[in-house]
Amino acid sequence: METPKRSNYLIVFIILMVSTLTETLVSYLHPEAIKISLLAVMAVLKVALVLLFFMHLRHNSKIFSYLFIAGCILVIPLILVITIVMPMIA
Amino acid sequence: MSEAQTSENSPIVQRENTKLAMWVFLGGEVVFFISLILLIIFSRLTQSDYETEFRLHLSIPLIALNTFILVTSSYFVVRALEAIRIDDNGKALRNNLIIVIILGLLFLGGQAFEWISLFNEGINLSSTFGSPFFTVTGIHGTHVFVGILWVIYLLLGHRRIPFTKENNLGIENFGLYWHFVDIVWIVLFTVIYLV
Repeated sequence: METPKRSNYLIVFIILMVSTLTETLVSYLHPEAIKISLLAVMAVLKVALVLLFFMHLRHNSKIFSYLFIAGCILVIPLILVITIVMPMIA
Repeated sequence: MSEAQTSENSPIVQRENTKLAMWVFLGGEVVFFISLILLIIFSRLTQSDYETEFRLHLSIPLIALNTFILVTSSYFVVRALEAIRIDDNGKALRNNLIIVIILGLLFLGGQAFEWISLFNEGINLSSTFGSPFFTVTGIHGTHVFVGILWVIYLLLGHRRIPFTKENNLGIENFGLYWHFVDIVWIVLFTVIYLV
């Protein structure tokens, strides 16, 4: 496994801190549509940075990434049950 | 013993298998936490008074500070792994892990303070938004607490049999767990507090 360079961790950490600060400031913005879009983009960026660099998915076997994605996909049937099947039963 | 059997039992294969097991566990955790996050989202979508009844009681600056603390702790976890994997420096590993414990405890302290403030303002487990909020943040906090216990266990183990450049899988697996807990908080911070 290729190990990321020492400096990358610090850069990722700084980006995460700046993003968190920006998110906090954006949360006071209006209108809601712009606010939610910006917050969603920043949250996805932060999650991706932690996964790729801190958890080394960028350098590790692809199967680890697939397992993480599989977890996200497995929730879809649950969403369908809650949003479609449950209201039909009720 | 055949060559195939030997390669299956080699340290590299064992290391990858252990990491695979950790990722399988994290895959299950993904399903678990997404379900919990959906609980929050659905309760918000079905009730129109989230802003006035609940969000106004939340302290965004306090939780932003808590988020900084948890993200910083993640940075010290990678520093700990780096210290042992690249530098083979057991002392630096120990110091970084002690900082992780302190930051983890600070995070839990911040969460406890928030919970007490909400209880004092009349938001509890029986309220509409309090129920999913306390459930999700409580389960996340429990994960942080387990992580702290895990670090303590690693530090005690490091005293008996020190981690080395070649033997650091325990630190790596703990790191995966801790970063995952960090990721969950990043999403919760956005979904519960900011949006």
